[in-house]
Amino acid sequence: MKRIVAQSRKELTQVRRDALVLFLALVLPQILLTLFGTALSLTVKDVPIVIQDLDQSAYSRAYADAWRQTLTFRVVDLGLDEQPSEALDRGVARAAIVIPHHFERDALRGVPADVQILVDATDANTANVMRGNAFGVSATFARSQRLVAPLPIDAEARLWYNPGRDSMRFVGPGAFAVTFALFPPLLAALALSREGEQKTVIQVYTSSISAREYLLGKTLAFWLVAVLQWAIGVGVLYFFFGLWFVGDPTPFLAGTVSYLFCCVAFGVMVGSAIPNQAAAIQAVQIVGFLMSFLLSGLIFPVANIPASIRWISYFVPARYYIELSRDAFIRGGGWPAVWHIPFVLAGIGLVFLLIAWKRMRRMQVSA
Amino acid sequence: MEADATNAGVGVRTLGGRLAEGRLVPLFLKELTQLGRNRRLVVMLVVPPTIQLLLFGFALNPEVTGLRLAVVDQSRTPESRQVVSAFASSGSFVIPAQFASAEQAGASISNGDADAALVIPFDFAERRVRGDTATVQLLLDATNANTAAIAGGYAARIVESLNRSLLAEVPRAARPIGLTTTVTLLYNPGLLNSWFITTGLIGTLLVLVGSLVASGSLVVEKETGTIEQLLMTPASATEIIVAKMAPLLLLLTADIVIALSVARIVFDVPVRGSLALFGVAGILCVLSGIGIGTFIATFTKSQQQAQLMGFFVNPPIALLSGVVTPIEAMPEWIRPFTLVNPVRHFATISRGVLLKGAGLDVLYPHLLALVAAAVLLVGISAWRFRKQFG
Repeated sequence: MKRIVAQSRKELTQVRRDALVLFLALVLPQILLTLFGTALSLTVKDVPIVIQDLDQSAYSRAYADAWRQTLTFRVVDLGLDEQPSEALDRGVARAAIVIPHHFERDALRGVPADVQILVDATDANTANVMRGNAFGVSATFARSQRLVAPLPIDAEARLWYNPGRDSMRFVGPGAFAVTFALFPPLLAALALSREGEQKTVIQVYTSSISAREYLLGKTLAFWLVAVLQWAIGVGVLYFFFGLWFVGDPTPFLAGTVSYLFCCVAFGVMVGSAIPNQAAAIQAVQIVGFLMSFLLSGLIFPVANIPASIRWISYFVPARYYIELSRDAFIRGGGWPAVWHIPFVLAGIGLVFLLIAWKRMRRMQVSA
Repeated sequence: MEADATNAGVGVRTLGGRLAEGRLVPLFLKELTQLGRNRRLVVMLVVPPTIQLLLFGFALNPEVTGLRLAVVDQSRTPESRQVVSAFASSGSFVIPAQFASAEQAGASISNGDADAALVIPFDFAERRVRGDTATVQLLLDATNANTAAIAGGYAARIVESLNRSLLAEVPRAARPIGLTTTVTLLYNPGLLNSWFITTGLIGTLLVLVGSLVASGSLVVEKETGTIEQLLMTPASATEIIVAKMAPLLLLLTADIVIALSVARIVFDVPVRGSLALFGVAGILCVLSGIGIGTFIATFTKSQQQAQLMGFFVNPPIALLSGVVTPIEAMPEWIRPFTLVNPVRHFATISRGVLLKGAGLDVLYPHLLALVAAAVLLVGISAWRFRKQFG
């Protein structure tokens, strides 16, 4: 135990003395967190659209105004002799609304007037949302103008937990989890592979410390660094994203202890396996970060990933921590919803550490 | 002024003379042989981009199906069961369980066991029989703003079509629907997100791989000190840097072909416009990447440092590009930054050419922006290199 503490104190001194590492440890994660939070939103606003009004009546103008009043769309002018589809080809508009001739006359007579909406579906998700909005705008207009009979059924939707559908609130906790899937393992992997690269690991082999103590000492040191990063990160979540714990924070805190351990253990595993700093960075980036970015439910739900690769996500720690942090900051379900997560994360971390130990335990220089 | 012009003229002539002397060509060949022998580099050029294209294309799927709907049917009448079965048969929702009260259904949302809840009140059938509008309540877990928006849209469409069929049963006395909406999806009617992601991601990969390889190959020479030997030869710093960049450009051009083939074969991405335009845009992207990499290399002493520097440059390039998420969803203050990102312009050109079949007449502003980015990045990095070693 004494040797573990000594090893981690030595490690922390080294971190403190290296300006680049210190910057990587404390500043860069927060920059990345804010960048993720602002750039990964899916809630579109001010999508440019064009309206071609072939009717030019009071009704058609009222319908066009219904589009202008939405926050999602911004009506831009259509060129004089330009077809609506050309505006989509040129990319100046993402959707085109064509109001047919005799729109007013038909609507008042009760003959269905068909509004044509062309949607640029290049971006599939935005197109899907725009399609939903288009039906909504038309339905609201028809109701307000009494173009339809009183409806038999009306669905009243209530949005829970995030009523403003604020994307930052959704992305914030996810970005938080992914940031910690990158930096703590990166620092740990760098520290271990540096010893391998510069052969200082031989000094460790000849000293009285055992492989177990050496690995645990490193893990403890970088776990402490990670806790510091995490604390700053919570501050960023509060000040930049406006997020704070809803409900009981204890499951989140317990999960954090094991998640940070799990991430550092991953870095320790990579660093002890690859005695080359450049290669270790790449390994952390590709395996740790890419998996956490893609297979954790950060942007789209995990359930949407095709089953053939979805099973991988069970081994991605960020997947669990995202669930946990979304619960802590948005939903507030507490222990009943997430009780298993701290244990799962600790288990994965132990496996990483065990693999590292299996590689290191002989403490021999491999030729 | 005049003297400057003459100097420039002399400069061009000496450069021409040097080319004629044939120093650049042997240097170029030396670099090419060196790169060709580097197995790891060749693997790095092929494997990670392919894997990333596949992963991004498959994993980023926004399609919302199988939403778990907790149902609270307090009415328990044929009328209310009609609503439940309309949701169940839509294909968008699955109904794992029925609950006795809205509180219980709410608890199942908060535990994460359900994504939405449908509450049909006691008086539902009565109101229907009387001819009043009967209201059902839909509770959506909006933790995921995007899924909630799409789920709400699905529910609205289900209720709308149910209303339409209910109204059709009513004798013609009731006022018919006077407005219908037809939505036509252009360019990507199947709403395949992989078409959106892969067409843009090719640009990200070209820039990132280009910068990684360029900084790597330069920094290795700095690290091992062989750059000093190169500088001792009669070749000038400009010749060295040009001879270093040219073979990389050649190799990375192969990446354009590989990436497009993966998109074409695996994801069935169409090619509706001119491949030449796509290729030119791709080459400009590679050049920008090489410029960024060389720039980083002039600041760093080791590969490890160069890669860590990448952490400052790569995330903004990858994220502020509109490749993964639409630019319209970013806050307004950050959108202007995307304009200086070569990947953003490449993505527009790539999607224009491949998906929309657009030509140069439409895409030229983005091509010009790419040219400017490539010239600027390569120019600045070559200038820094010359300053450091010239």
